[in-house]
Amino acid sequence: MIKFITKRILIAIPTLLIIVAFSFFMMRIAPGGPFTNERALPPEIENNIKAAYNLDKPVYEQFYIYIKNLTKGDFGPSFKYKDFSVKELILNGLPVSVTLGLSSIIISLFIGSLLGIIAAINRNTIFDYSVMGVSLLGICVPSFVMAPLLSLFFSLYLGILPTSGWNNGNIMNLILPITALSLPQIAVISRMMRASTIEILNSNFIRTAKSKGLNSSYIIRKHVIRASILPIIEYLAPASAGLMTGSIIIEQIFGLPGIGRYFVVGALQRDYTLVSGVLILYASLLIFLILITDIIRAILDPRVKI
Amino acid sequence: MPLTQKNIKNNNLLLDIHDLNVFFNTPEGISHVVKDVNFNIKKGTCLGVVGESGSGKTQTFFSITGLLANNGYAEGEAFFKNTNLITCSNEERRGFLGKSIGFIFQDPMTSLTPHLKIGDQLAEIAIYHKKINKKKALERAIEVMDIVKLPSNRDIINSYPHELSGGMKQRIMIAISLMCEPDLIIADEPTTALDVTTQAEILNIFNDLKNNLNIGLVLISHNIGVIAETSNEVLVMKDGEILENGETSKVLTKPENKYTQHLLSCIPPWIGN
Amino acid sequence: MNKNNVKIVEDYANIKGRSLWVDARRRLFKNKAAVVSLILLFFIAFLSFFGPFFLKFSFSDTDWNSIYYPPNLNNGHFLGTDGNGRDLLVRILYGGRLSLSIGVLATLVSVFIGVIYGTIAGFFGGKLDVFMMRVVEILYAMPYLIFVIILMVVFGRNIYFLFIAIGAVEWLTMARIVRGQTISLKEKEFIETSKALGQSNFMIIWKHIIPNLAGPIIVYITLMVPSVIILESFLSFLGLGVQEPLTSWGVLISEGSREMETAWWLLIFPGLFMTITLASLNFIGDGLRDAIDPKEY
Ligand SMILES: Nc1ncnc2c1ncn2[C@@H]1O[C@H](COP(=O)(O)OP(=O)(O)OP(=O)(O)O)[C@@H](O)[C@H]1O
Ligand SMILES: [Mg+2]
Repeated sequence: MIKFITKRILIAIPTLLIIVAFSFFMMRIAPGGPFTNERALPPEIENNIKAAYNLDKPVYEQFYIYIKNLTKGDFGPSFKYKDFSVKELILNGLPVSVTLGLSSIIISLFIGSLLGIIAAINRNTIFDYSVMGVSLLGICVPSFVMAPLLSLFFSLYLGILPTSGWNNGNIMNLILPITALSLPQIAVISRMMRASTIEILNSNFIRTAKSKGLNSSYIIRKHVIRASILPIIEYLAPASAGLMTGSIIIEQIFGLPGIGRYFVVGALQRDYTLVSGVLILYASLLIFLILITDIIRAILDPRVKI
Repeated sequence: MPLTQKNIKNNNLLLDIHDLNVFFNTPEGISHVVKDVNFNIKKGTCLGVVGESGSGKTQTFFSITGLLANNGYAEGEAFFKNTNLITCSNEERRGFLGKSIGFIFQDPMTSLTPHLKIGDQLAEIAIYHKKINKKKALERAIEVMDIVKLPSNRDIINSYPHELSGGMKQRIMIAISLMCEPDLIIADEPTTALDVTTQAEILNIFNDLKNNLNIGLVLISHNIGVIAETSNEVLVMKDGEILENGETSKVLTKPENKYTQHLLSCIPPWIGN
Repeated sequence: MNKNNVKIVEDYANIKGRSLWVDARRRLFKNKAAVVSLILLFFIAFLSFFGPFFLKFSFSDTDWNSIYYPPNLNNGHFLGTDGNGRDLLVRILYGGRLSLSIGVLATLVSVFIGVIYGTIAGFFGGKLDVFMMRVVEILYAMPYLIFVIILMVVFGRNIYFLFIAIGAVEWLTMARIVRGQTISLKEKEFIETSKALGQSNFMIIWKHIIPNLAGPIIVYITLMVPSVIILESFLSFLGLGVQEPLTSWGVLISEGSREMETAWWLLIFPGLFMTITLASLNFIGDGLRDAIDPKEY
């Protein structure tokens, strides 16, 4: 197991390096970026940047310093907020984004898989059709339409939930953002789960299980689920990527001070260091999730070699 | 029905089939793949079923065991222990499946659940039907592994299907069907996917089962050589109909039907004698 | 090389191809959801491109006398007006023009990259294939939307650059599909025959492989266009995509969500147009997939 994990980590490192290189060279070629000379910045930030990046050194040395700083968790000073480093900004937003993302991923995986399995077992019944219909809606109504609609209905019309704000993570403030963020993922996951469960139900080994005279709930529990959940496990990383990008918009709409919010502000104001810091953070997180996916898959499917 | 009455008296009969039909709903309409078939199986004998691909061999026996695809349905009578397996409830049928009727499938490579250990896949049948604990069930599993001539040690019990060869998987499939000491085993082309040596070994196992355990056996095969070696009676099917049904020695030496003659003429000369 | 033989091989491939397409079309037109979607989509596209000529308002004219008119059939503002007194219907249709064009153009860019990449990897195989697919795998693991945003930040919010950026990140799946298909086609008889007849690799790819990829490519396009439309709207919603005075559905939805307390129609109608378009494309894509590659269940 340890060997397996080490190998995966060794594969992950070059990926991360490519991303880091991308963000470094992007900042170099960006007009008005931190590494060019024709900047018009307030003197304090100018000094921060100069001190952080040793602009008089040659490029490869700058790249080396950049990577060395990253390994210490230092993303450099913000390009626009003069009293903050990127690390401080990210740490500020982290609790909000983690709360939002983690609850959404758990909710989507759980509800999505459950709906998919039940729909597959009750194929071509009212339940199946309604799940598939609603999930189609979840796929075709993007989150930036769904979120305002939800808040229009539940906050402005019914007045039972707050429109926006973090409010120290009060559950009432979280319901709408988490719902809006999870719905598209629930839609996708329930469809995937339905399709894969149907495929497994039609497979030869389920026929064997039926020929043993076992009852259906036992067959589903023991023989079907562990096989049909595999595509969902594989989807963990893409789903998280979807949630990350989704949260950028959801945080914006519901006025939540998370990382996505900083990212948008950073993008609009061309805060290069902040934007690339978020990129590297998200990419590392995804690579980590892919590692987790591999491990879970190895546990669930004995055919995967460890 | 007078016929049925007679059959119940004849207690040597294991499975008695009358006017069995199988249909499938397809986009092109209803397709009728098994047409009015009649036959029976006696205890301790082997019924060989031959016929070209698509002639309805598999679907005939799927209909009896309730394994038809979702778009399929069956009509007719298939009496097993005084129960019509075609019309009985699913619960009733499940009571027979795995317990008194074992099924061995055409494709051993994909017929075992990939994520469960062999031991669990064997034990679960006995746990379910005989209500015994897992330890006892595993002991029984080792017994049946001995019958199918697998090394009855813990290694196989603890391995996963992908770690076994095709021949071993097929033996496991046979072992699965034997777990609860069945009266009837239906083997659907059990040797097609295997090499010649393994094929002969598996057929030997079937002969032992029939002779020593007094099990009724259905052996579906493309291979007339296999049928000739193992079965007492033979059924020749084509396009869902039974063309010929009788003692193996008779049918294979003096076939009445043109099609059977044709089938026999296709066997390489070194097989028959 | 015998020209005649080549011709025969090509004819064979063509005839097989043709009857396949006839069958596929028949199956597609049997699928009610797909047919209705096809009609709806054509209707929306037609309205977006020609509708504005028949309406009396222009999409950018502000009219301070008609601010926040609710939808009304009598005054000509069928779907109401926004905070600058601009007619919503005209703006939605103009937005549709842009959203649909970006959807199609960016998809074409990605199909172009994906097909070239996939056929090369699949056709030549070996180490090259392994390497190229590893690259795709690595890129797959990246938060590509964040990449697009960064590209937009670095290179400025230019609409032409927008669809190149989207196209440049969306080609991965296409490349995978095309590679898989190419590998299975490569084994087919008519390709072998062409090889035996001495046709060059380029000619084989161009004449035999690419035409035979048409099915999966078409299916994929119909499924990709909606995701590109969503991506564009996403960026525009954040203010990183299409800029004023131009407008797209994403821009309109973004404006609408800011003003939904005073004028719900500004959110609902653009959202509706977009949702109908996305749903139609989805149904058409599913229908095409079933028609071209019929599965049993
Ligand atoms: N789900 C289904 N829907 C429609 N037709 C089916 C279905 N399953 C089987 N059939 C048809 O039933 C017929 C009989 O099939 P069956 O599997 O019994 O053939 P077989 O004699 O076992 O052939 P083989 O030797 O190839 O196993 C075939 O023509 C097949 O196409
Ligand atoms: Mg068969």
